[in-house]
Amino acid sequence: MRNWMLAAIVSPAIVMGSLAAEAQSAWRSYIVKELGFSFSAPGKIETSTGTFRGEVAGPRQTMIFKSNVNNIEYKVTVMSFKQAQGEGASILGERTYMFQDKKKTLMDTYARVEPGKDSVYGRKMVVELAEGKGRTFGAFYFTNGKLIALEATVLPANGDYESPDPARFVDSIAFIASRAGDNAIELQAPKTE
Amino acid sequence: MRLTVLAILAGFALATFTTPAAAQWRPYISHPLGFAFAAPGPMKVEKGTYEAPIAGRRQTTTYAFTDDNIEYKVVVIDMRDIAGNSASLLGEAQYRFQDGKKLMMDAFGRVDRQFGRKLTVDLPNNGGRSMGAFYFINGRIVSLQATVLPANGDYETPETGRFIDSITFYTVRADDDAIEVPPPG
Repeated sequence: MRNWMLAAIVSPAIVMGSLAAEAQSAWRSYIVKELGFSFSAPGKIETSTGTFRGEVAGPRQTMIFKSNVNNIEYKVTVMSFKQAQGEGASILGERTYMFQDKKKTLMDTYARVEPGKDSVYGRKMVVELAEGKGRTFGAFYFTNGKLIALEATVLPANGDYESPDPARFVDSIAFIASRAGDNAIELQAPKTE
Repeated sequence: MRLTVLAILAGFALATFTTPAAAQWRPYISHPLGFAFAAPGPMKVEKGTYEAPIAGRRQTTTYAFTDDNIEYKVVVIDMRDIAGNSASLLGEAQYRFQDGKKLMMDAFGRVDRQFGRKLTVDLPNNGGRSMGAFYFINGRIVSLQATVLPANGDYETPETGRFIDSITFYTVRADDDAIEVPPPG
């Protein structure tokens, strides 16, 4: 009788706990209206700022949106180049070059988002990180004066390098607001100096 | 013995006269466009159009050369009015170069702080092999394309790579005797 009562109390608790964990890792759509794009990712999105330096790009502040679920890191990084839009092709080329530099490139191909004259061309790449630190999927675009990079890294603790989740993440980018979906959660861009 | 020597000499002479002389490579420069390159043979300047969904319809200026059944072209597409979309415009041009063709190579091209791409494709219907390099500079797509025609057939020739890699965007690096190409009209 006592065991039966214990089971009756513990089982719902386990179910509730797993439901909460599932909700935590559920995929959601996000839109950053201020920056003109939307994407989907699992888990809780945290925003922060960082820095980047490239020979062509120079020193830049970055806006970061990231989550970590099941030992896969999902990260969107945005840099503004309002005054250097004509250099966008080279800035994008430099960023993609830096992404694969000194790593084993597994895939490097064209990326195109949106149809016809609204198309945004970029590149999608997959690299193996040095010293067995995992595998990163990346997609890179330069549009409206902003460099947008989506990177998903499968860490060794996950180990499923063929997981479809990184591709789902990098392919979720959209630059037309209506494609974000009605339920998209609006994110505010972190403030840079 | 005498006859043999005579025959050998005659053979050499015949070979020399019948083999087309490889045209001399010359340096070229465009100060207004901001690049220099090298190519063999006489230059022709051609006007044309480029049309693509993002770029729309655009005027092109092509500096064209032919030598030993290899076509060398520097194609300049003016996009100064939409240069803010340079990354997609360049991506579109690169994509179209390889679309529907067998892609043999697609790699980073980096010249004088300019990042672009270098591609090699086999043309459909055994039309030859083209090597291309694409850059966006000063509001224009600058593309170098070298096509080895079937009549040449040496698809591994180093000449195409020599042409593609001759581009420089630091005009000070051009040879002193570089020939100024006519500016786009």
